[in-house]
Amino acid sequence: MKYKDYYQILGVPRGASEEDIKKAYRRLARKYHPDVSKERDAEERFKEISEAYEVLKDKEKRAAYDRLGQYRPGEEFRPPPDWAEQFVRGFGGGFAEGIDLSDLFGDLFGGARRARTRGFAMPGEDYEAVVHLTLEEAARGTEVALDLNVPEYDAEGMPRRAPRQIKVRIPKGVSHGQKLRVPGKGGPGVNGGPPGALYLDIRLRPHPLFRPSGHDLYLEVPVAPWEAVLGATLEVPTLEGKVRLKIPAGARAGQKLRLAGKGLPKPRGGHGDLYAVLQIVTPPTPTPRERELYEELARISSFDPRGRFPGGS
Amino acid sequence: MAADELLLSECVYLSVGEVAAASGLSAEEIDELIDLGVLEPAPHAGPEASLPAHAIEAARAVRRLQRDFELPLVGAALVLACRERIRELEQRLRLLECLVPEAARPR
Repeated sequence: MKYKDYYQILGVPRGASEEDIKKAYRRLARKYHPDVSKERDAEERFKEISEAYEVLKDKEKRAAYDRLGQYRPGEEFRPPPDWAEQFVRGFGGGFAEGIDLSDLFGDLFGGARRARTRGFAMPGEDYEAVVHLTLEEAARGTEVALDLNVPEYDAEGMPRRAPRQIKVRIPKGVSHGQKLRVPGKGGPGVNGGPPGALYLDIRLRPHPLFRPSGHDLYLEVPVAPWEAVLGATLEVPTLEGKVRLKIPAGARAGQKLRLAGKGLPKPRGGHGDLYAVLQIVTPPTPTPRERELYEELARISSFDPRGRFPGGS
Repeated sequence: MAADELLLSECVYLSVGEVAAASGLSAEEIDELIDLGVLEPAPHAGPEASLPAHAIEAARAVRRLQRDFELPLVGAALVLACRERIRELEQRLRLLECLVPEAARPR
């Protein structure tokens, strides 16, 4: 199994007092707890931090951890020969392939293994995963296959990690940040207990054109100055193909035009709206003739765009 | 509770017992969260409160915060209220960003 340096994870020396370990945990938990942190790797970091704290705050587990010896983080190692007999209750054989340090301390020391072998019912573990979907997948619904590395137990209740692929149907109409609960797709129940649930955190991948806000979509629509002044009918993309959009004469930059029902579908029926947000763009390299016409417009126009400034422009 | 996947949204309602079972909190703790205003039962509820499905997510977060920070229920509820406020503001920010041209958005 691979070695994890719990002291290094908490940023404390090996001789740290219980109080110092608690302080280090609290400081790191405040920074990385997924419910309060915006750090990119918060979830992964917090798992490591809480695993390290669970072991180091418990005198018995800490002593057992210290007896494993000291290796480089990630280095393969085996516990010393007499280690399991000394620390693991009811240990009767070797360690399963694929066992990791968290299983060793999470299950062999805790009540889980005893519960497994003594026969009282326990619900299965809940699994959590993040699912990244395209807007199109969210709109029409999809099926995703999640590759998870989950704890498993042999007949004697010995844990090991095993890859498991879970297929889940994502109903149409999910939006960014929504949670999906899938009963029965978590870990298996023990001694007749119910299986756990799978919780999915839905994230929508950025789309090159559309920006979602709930079930509404926003589309930036560039228009030429003359289209904004004179009005125009344009073809704009939606998730279901192109539609015609009427730009009223005298349109302003930033103006929102609503295309009702062209947003994302809602789970209980109906659709959000698509908002076309107008951006007035100018020709990057006007031709001599275009320039001439703009110069003429500048000469003859009485329009003062800065009329609200004190004293005008 | 439906055996199928369940979108934790405002559209589906669950009993206090179902939210408790899914979150790992007790029914008494769910009732306390209702009293604290963290969970809002459906307005049409009869003698027994029914809660929108997203209450599961809130209750699970309360449980995590209690466990990981050794917080009392009321402390975890306060953290959750602040988190919800931040989420609302982030949603507003996302909406405002939708209205700003790509080239003008702060990096």
